[in-house]
Amino acid sequence: MNDQNGGYVMEGKEKKLPDLFPKETTRRGFLRGTAVAAGSAVAMATVGGLAAKTVHAQAAPPAPQQKDLMRFLFAERENCTGCRACEYACSVYHTGIVRPSVSRIHVLKYKDSIDVPIVCWHCEDAPCIAACPTTPKSIIADPKHNGIILNEKTCLGRKCLKCQEACPAQFVWVNPDTGMPLMCDMCEGDPACVKACKDQSGNPQGPCLVANKLGFGVNLAFRNVTPNQAGKDLLDLTFYPSVDGKRPIPAKTKKTRRS
Amino acid sequence: MTAPRGGCFGKVLEIDLSKQTYKTREVSDEIYQKAIGGNGLAAYFLTTEYKAHKDPLAEDAFIYVGPGPLNGTYCVSTRTSFAHMSPYTGLISHAETGAHFGNEIRWAGWDGIYITGRSKKPVWLSIVDDKVEFKDATKIWGKDTEETHEAIIKEMNDPYARTAVIGPAGENQVPFSCVIVERFRAAARSGTGMLMGNKKLKGLAVRGTKAVPVVDNAKFMEMATYAKKLAIDKECWQGVKRWGTAGLLELKNFVDGSLITKNYQTTWYPDIVKIGAEAANRKFWKRHVACNHCPIHCLKLGVIRDGKYKGLIAEGPEYESGGLLGSNLGMTDFNSMIALIEVCDALGLDNISAGGVLGFVTELMERGILKPADLDGLKPKWGDGDTYMELIRKMAYKEGKAGKLLSKGVKKMAAEIGKGSELYAIHVKGKELAAHDPRADKARTYSYCLGSCGGDHHEGASTRALVIFAMINSLCTCSFASALIWGGENAKITVGMLNPLCGWNMTEDDYWTTGKRILTMERVFNVREGISRKDDALPKRLTTEKLPAGPKKGAVFTEEDTKKMQDEFYSFVGWDAKGIPTEATLKAYGLEYAIDDIARARKEYNL
Repeated sequence: MNDQNGGYVMEGKEKKLPDLFPKETTRRGFLRGTAVAAGSAVAMATVGGLAAKTVHAQAAPPAPQQKDLMRFLFAERENCTGCRACEYACSVYHTGIVRPSVSRIHVLKYKDSIDVPIVCWHCEDAPCIAACPTTPKSIIADPKHNGIILNEKTCLGRKCLKCQEACPAQFVWVNPDTGMPLMCDMCEGDPACVKACKDQSGNPQGPCLVANKLGFGVNLAFRNVTPNQAGKDLLDLTFYPSVDGKRPIPAKTKKTRRS
Repeated sequence: MTAPRGGCFGKVLEIDLSKQTYKTREVSDEIYQKAIGGNGLAAYFLTTEYKAHKDPLAEDAFIYVGPGPLNGTYCVSTRTSFAHMSPYTGLISHAETGAHFGNEIRWAGWDGIYITGRSKKPVWLSIVDDKVEFKDATKIWGKDTEETHEAIIKEMNDPYARTAVIGPAGENQVPFSCVIVERFRAAARSGTGMLMGNKKLKGLAVRGTKAVPVVDNAKFMEMATYAKKLAIDKECWQGVKRWGTAGLLELKNFVDGSLITKNYQTTWYPDIVKIGAEAANRKFWKRHVACNHCPIHCLKLGVIRDGKYKGLIAEGPEYESGGLLGSNLGMTDFNSMIALIEVCDALGLDNISAGGVLGFVTELMERGILKPADLDGLKPKWGDGDTYMELIRKMAYKEGKAGKLLSKGVKKMAAEIGKGSELYAIHVKGKELAAHDPRADKARTYSYCLGSCGGDHHEGASTRALVIFAMINSLCTCSFASALIWGGENAKITVGMLNPLCGWNMTEDDYWTTGKRILTMERVFNVREGISRKDDALPKRLTTEKLPAGPKKGAVFTEEDTKKMQDEFYSFVGWDAKGIPTEATLKAYGLEYAIDDIARARKEYNL
């Protein structure tokens, strides 16, 4: 984490910021984060963590901490191994048993070579809520943790699904039993999928899902990438020089010539 | 007959390809308790429905695609079993594969798929929950596994559907052709591809939206979470997470001395550094891929970055594929080896058997037993990737003299060629061995010889492990993420998960009894086909030729070792000295229906 800012530690100690360019360093770290953010949300998460810690370092003495409520989800797509622990955790959190078809989060296998986790980016402008035709709105963003809360009594369900159409990330699925849209409610600020992902990961890859208090606007940039686009981008990026997963000559099998 | 309360649906999807119809077969809770599911349930169907000497390619022969009761639940890493009577060996056979296919079957509301009959024109099956459709496969017939997979997903119009397909090798009925699941995983070794090709079934695609019912969810989750935690934390498996099974290539060569090399001539292959895990890490691997809910992600995907095969995305090397198509063929060029592996997968050939056959012909060529004229003018030499590539293609299409000969497998090839080639044909019960040389890795002999499929490395490497693996092949859990990690706790964890899941009252003793029962059922089937103690042995070369080099120089698997192993195992599972289940044993396991079969077989084969 400290690598982002040249290795100095701020927590619990006197600030050891170098006198020269303290702000610039931070900004550079931030910029670097955004630059990588084209494919990396972890960098953003670290910067976010850093910002949080700076605040704590200034406010003394540290009060007995309550767990912070997270407001945003990020997916570091390159780290996904396709184990679907997030889907398992999500459906277990919401229904008690494993049932990926009612999981909010999903993992798309693109050309069977790339796994694309599809998360709710919790956009500040929330196109899904804007599209909801009922009055009052059947979906609202919880002010505390930014989770989208669905009111099943007023929601029109399968008849409407304007929210599904409106979601630029193609995140919203429909519950096959009730016809209700499946919205990410952030598990009240402590997402189960993030915990499951963190548990599974570690050797040699870091976690794919990250929760954060800030969105940095990156979520708004990410959301416009559809799962298939993300898959194609990742495929070309990961498996260069392969083009869109196409097989070169050797595997092309010749036509059968029966002798 | 009682319906299962949880864990299982009590429903098996029965498909008749001849009439293009399907129906539900009800399976009672008692049978699940007896046979668990997956491979065990298939063994039950096979022993109760087949008469002795059934033609494995008959129209009413069936394939059982069976996940187990733990598939689709919170249990860590679950698999799928394809079980049937093998057209390759003529014995009972099962092949397990990872990926998400099995779970999807369960989420579609089925405990398994029982496929019988034979279609007139090529079909593939689309299974979405309760809805089954027979789709025309004329257009994809002849395509390789990847193209087939893509075409099926496209027609399903659902990227979340999971597929199991065969390639040209299966269509042309090569007896060691396999089923490729989700492009990179193979259910191989038992000729499932040939059987599907014979039934004109190009593939299956499954999508489910339901959930597996659980009787006592809190208790189940507690044990399943504990089991998963073991899989995450266990230190000895961190290497598999990092290196996959390819890490074993170096380990088995430099430490264990059991990496097969050049058709079992030796186990010392220093060139492994050019094609092993370290080389793969440096110039090939790009991603780790996991099966469902698995923290181990042992599958590695990579891309070839230069040379003739530039841009080829492939999976591997795994220990078996890198051993059989790498060191076994004396390969030193990493890219060529990966291309061989990938072409085998694309054509739907079993990597292990194909590698065994290629190693065998190369040695015969070296010794002058075969002439290039016998192989359409091709002259395979160790490390010659291009010739091997051509031979693999011929094998899959049964093309020319070489294709016809090679697609028979080493046992029949040796019988046809003669001239002392039998000594170099390394197989047990007609199936080529995997990449662990039993002279150095002696424990592996249990799996090769005593496992029910013959020549299979995935059946447990000790007496107790054989029983544990019979269980995990029926539960369809993964040997890495469960059996081997749980170690001594296997019985405890399995029972601890199954009881709250299904509402059973299994004890740890029942766990062992059930495992032994499944092994005995499989043995009953094999005994009817004439298998006895004499067949549970290694080929002559491995019991007489000492290892010439490497860490285990001079090692050999002696006759005494064989005898000791057999005696130990037979007495543990309750079979007599000839390896036949006794009447008392059959009664103890509740397999009374097999007593007559065994008596008939004893008379027939004079046992």
